[in-house]
Amino acid sequence: MSSSSLQAQRERGKSMQKQECIAMLLAGGQGSRLGGLTHNIAKPAVSFCGKYRIIDFSLSNCANSNINTVGVLTQYKPFLLNSYIGLGSAWNLDNPFGGVHILPPYVGENEGSWYKGTANAIYQNLDFINFYDPEFVLILSGDHIYKMNYLSMLNFHKEKGSEITISTIDVPWAEVSRFGIVTIDEDNRIIKFTEKSRYPESNLASMGIYIFNWPILKQALIRDAQDHLSENDFGKNIIPKQIELGRKLYAYKFQGYWRDVGTIESYYNANMESLGGKDSIDLFDPVQRVFSNEDILPPQYVGPTAKIQNSLISNGCVVLGQVSHSILAPGAYVGEGSIVEDSILLPHAKVNRQSRINKSIVGEGAKIMSHCSIGREPGSNPQQAGITVLEDHYLLEKGSVIQAGSNLNSAC
Amino acid sequence: MHNVIGILFGNNGSDILQGLAFQRSTAAVPFGGRYRLLDFALSSMVNSGIRTIGLVTPRHYRSILDHLGAGKEWLLDRKSGGLFILPGAIQGLSGQSGRFALKDLQLNIEYLQKDFSENIIISGCNHVFNMNYQEAFDLHETKQADITLIYKESDDSAAMVGKERLIIGDNQKILDIQGQDTPETTGQIHDYFADMLIIRRKLLLEIIEGYRSIETVNLMDAIQENIRSLKVYGVQFNGYYGTINSVKDYFDRSMELLNPKIRKEVLTGQDRIHTKIVDNPPTKHGAHAKVSNSLISSGCTIEGEVYDSILSRGVIVERGATIRNCIIMQKCKIAADTGLNYVILDKFVKVRAGNVLKGKKNTPLVVLKGSVV
Repeated sequence: MSSSSLQAQRERGKSMQKQECIAMLLAGGQGSRLGGLTHNIAKPAVSFCGKYRIIDFSLSNCANSNINTVGVLTQYKPFLLNSYIGLGSAWNLDNPFGGVHILPPYVGENEGSWYKGTANAIYQNLDFINFYDPEFVLILSGDHIYKMNYLSMLNFHKEKGSEITISTIDVPWAEVSRFGIVTIDEDNRIIKFTEKSRYPESNLASMGIYIFNWPILKQALIRDAQDHLSENDFGKNIIPKQIELGRKLYAYKFQGYWRDVGTIESYYNANMESLGGKDSIDLFDPVQRVFSNEDILPPQYVGPTAKIQNSLISNGCVVLGQVSHSILAPGAYVGEGSIVEDSILLPHAKVNRQSRINKSIVGEGAKIMSHCSIGREPGSNPQQAGITVLEDHYLLEKGSVIQAGSNLNSAC
Repeated sequence: MHNVIGILFGNNGSDILQGLAFQRSTAAVPFGGRYRLLDFALSSMVNSGIRTIGLVTPRHYRSILDHLGAGKEWLLDRKSGGLFILPGAIQGLSGQSGRFALKDLQLNIEYLQKDFSENIIISGCNHVFNMNYQEAFDLHETKQADITLIYKESDDSAAMVGKERLIIGDNQKILDIQGQDTPETTGQIHDYFADMLIIRRKLLLEIIEGYRSIETVNLMDAIQENIRSLKVYGVQFNGYYGTINSVKDYFDRSMELLNPKIRKEVLTGQDRIHTKIVDNPPTKHGAHAKVSNSLISSGCTIEGEVYDSILSRGVIVERGATIRNCIIMQKCKIAADTGLNYVILDKFVKVRAGNVLKGKKNTPLVVLKGSVV
């Protein structure tokens, strides 16, 4: 939003800009565990499930929850993310009394620095929250796939008289050590919070979604900033500290599909889950729609010899070969005689003739020349479950054979 | 393109498209999966850099306004300029339609008076094409023309029915504008006026003023009457130009989009055709889906078989349904064990299980909007 319209808002008086609840969306993470997918682009801007980008889910949730003031905290390779979000109009968030604001790190008169942690990022933007002077602040993460009505969580927060509410979900015991785990009493009040513990007391995991009473958050952030030993992280520092201080923290139990897509494996699996099965994000639901900022592309063309099964195909795709159990993002191309199986082609990825691709993620604008074989030979990278990843704009020479689990990066 | 504004006549055309144009004008008829016919003319203007466009509305303009909204997808929701809705004159009979009627412009004279542009590009919007006006505009300026008519060379008088023939002299100067084909002229190569022209704004205002007393005259009549005193030039359009004068034409032009060459020229070239964005998910091809040589829009769920067809957004094809040579519009549902061949389903049609619908290549079967078959 331009400064003049901010000025105009100020002149209209406090009543206009005051919001009950504003959202702060943490989108600055590098997402280094996504390897080649985030070499050129911030994690929240990575393509997901064909036509979407990861941040679409959080922004659409905000729109569907009537939260129309969203601060998006960016830091790592922000250009594509910023231009994708634009004014937020794709999510109906271009609102004169609020709207989407991109909040990069900045330098003030005496201070200013990169965002050091999640809490520090919010701390550096206290002015922004002060401007809207909300009663509640919703803290979100830009790299989760889920549909949630934040107003239900806010109602829970109010009903309980909570000061800090954490959205939680039951996770399988095997994965518990990846998450921040909360221990609650019978009234859902949080009595303990342990980040990534090896000996967890429950399987109720924090989803990284918090609602704070604004005065509590403000005070907590200011105190945290003065603590030189703190890592300035919500999960590691702020939340445990607030429990220690005896604040009223409650766990809101979320029911539904939720995935953290922080690793190649979880990213791949979450994509594949959308192809069907009981547990998946419902993209076809007409009520809680997922919005995205899409390009203008013609309908997909399916050629005379094409064969497509169990797949999601986006606008602008051209399929002349075979595609099964795969996801094709807008503008992807599969040439004649090529076979794409269990794979994800990101926007404008191109597979030329007579190539075979198994269980791979082909980056945006990557080009695979003819007669290539990818992911069909057993490989030596057990860490990412044999998923082969081609970086954005990677050019794979004609006739290449790539082992399963390889990471192909242009820089190497 | 500076100094140019656009006028689109959304009210050209009549009831040639039978049921497809029953509650909508020809301009608003869905086309090519996710477009409507007027998208082609409108996008051509926008892609040429025109940011002030007035649309003359037809009698049934609900569907056009529903599609256009504030013009956001065409980059026309603007503080200065943008999309202007120009209510068209009500003709005596609903089937009757003037082409470029001066009466429509008289009613909206303010749109022309309050602008400062030197030139106006006027276009009909019932044709399938993707044109950048820059070249025509450059010629218009170099020749210091009063009017530049854009024409298409063709020997297909059936396709060009109702279009004026231009007699062109040296230097692309237009010597005369002749009426529609007669039996003697049929089948020869002619330069047909392609429903697009560039005219000086002041001249257009003079013409409107001059013909104020005559109710039924259209712009082409007025130009023809004054051809000797005006500098009128012609520019040939060499690209794909799909005309639609009947249901069969509509069917044929649609199917031509399955031709990669035409699709590339019209849809996937440098200049894209803008259309309303609906935020559908990608299309789901199920385990038993079989799709071949077809254009499929987003948000469809396909479990059956689709051959040589065009599907709009949100169509559901159940397992066991077989669709051949069909145009299926938005949100139709085709149940199991059905067979469709040479059928055009308008929006929201439901085909119940077990039914077989067959049209013919030359007379495709049209099923009206919202029908349950």
